[in-house]
Amino acid sequence: MTNAVIRYSLLFIICVLLQVLIFNRIALFNVAMPVIFIYFIIRLPINLKLSYVFTLAFFLGLCVDIFSDTPGVNALACTLIASIRTPIYYAYMAKDDITSRLTPGISTMGFIDYSKYLLSFIVIYCFLVFTIEYFSFADVKGIVILSAASSAITFVILLAADSLIPVKSIA
Amino acid sequence: MRNLLNFFLKYGTWFIFAFYVIVSCVILFTYNAYHSSIYFSSANAVSSSVYGASSEITGYFNLREINRDLEENNARLENEVLNLRHQLAELNTLISDSLEFDNSKVRYDYVPATVINNNVRHPKNYFSINRGSNDGIRVGQGVVDHNGVVGIVNVTGKNTARVISLLNETQRFSVKIKNTDYIGSLSWKGGDPSVAYMEEVPRHTKYQVGDTVVTSGYSLSFPANIPVGVIMNRIKGADDNFFILKVRLTPNFKSLGTVRVIKDNFKESLDSLSQHDIP
Repeated sequence: MTNAVIRYSLLFIICVLLQVLIFNRIALFNVAMPVIFIYFIIRLPINLKLSYVFTLAFFLGLCVDIFSDTPGVNALACTLIASIRTPIYYAYMAKDDITSRLTPGISTMGFIDYSKYLLSFIVIYCFLVFTIEYFSFADVKGIVILSAASSAITFVILLAADSLIPVKSIA
Repeated sequence: MRNLLNFFLKYGTWFIFAFYVIVSCVILFTYNAYHSSIYFSSANAVSSSVYGASSEITGYFNLREINRDLEENNARLENEVLNLRHQLAELNTLISDSLEFDNSKVRYDYVPATVINNNVRHPKNYFSINRGSNDGIRVGQGVVDHNGVVGIVNVTGKNTARVISLLNETQRFSVKIKNTDYIGSLSWKGGDPSVAYMEEVPRHTKYQVGDTVVTSGYSLSFPANIPVGVIMNRIKGADDNFFILKVRLTPNFKSLGTVRVIKDNFKESLDSLSQHDIP
């Protein structure tokens, strides 16, 4: 238990630092902006109490917001995505005792199902965050292009990260 | 009472959810870019020390280009100094002046600073610098780099400050076409970090593609004639009497390194004048 808490705290800090120090500087072709810090929410255990998930997601978003001067944007998007995390998971996994005790990952879900879960999560998040940030600013077409390009680059980076980090080291 | 308690227990999670959504919405909508609290900005103690540490490393990037630009600038300035010195000497031989030049009336001072955190990918971009109120930085002062205007100071900490980048849809700059009196208002509209738009340009304005756009000097943040960008082409405005010029910005916002903050020594006296405005 304590071990898991320490590991997740470390993951939280690493996700925020990687996002604000490295990935915030990247904007490929001015549209593809990797949003990698949501990896923390993606990797929370499925049976974790929902109220904890909300709290962690909100503060994760707030931390990134403070560093990147986008007040409230990521905090709101993270809280919203946290509420539909479990439904996204069960869209690809059978609902039973075993799956509900797992931590989402390639080794627990299998490559195909995990990719689907990851991609759905990223696409929804990117669409949410760009809609919130560009609401009064860009047209629908602009938001869709931004979301699609950013989802693609984030998906590739997070899938690569998953192959690098063994599941056991997190949960 | 018991039912009420059961109700809260049953839906407690969703109350927490609603609470966080409301808090984020409050931060999102009530946040004012001009009077924002330092704790919610990247100029706060924690984030500025993190960015300070990372800029120790990233500060070495792009040094080659920055150095080349500085060399060019230096050569140009040296030329100008030589020319002016020559002119002054000529004039002194023509008219011998017994009055001494009064140095105390220098209007602008420059404070050099390093950019420790920079953003170009949001609709509202900000960056942070490693100088703060201890170095005399105040809200509203203009910030330039060796290529031109980059922003206006917006929040100051003790040793850091946050600057509203020119790449911020909420910020407008008073500009004119160089060597003319045609004034417009420059704003950035998202997307490409090297293109902005000069709006409210009167219809009778004469210009050439490639003309330089400079600050007008009508705002208290910037002296006149600091370069901003170069005219690319003309776009028809919503109003027949005005048109919009597309401007290629001269500073490279993706690699801001060293910048200078402009301190206006006349600001206090100019501000005190505006107290006599008729309400």
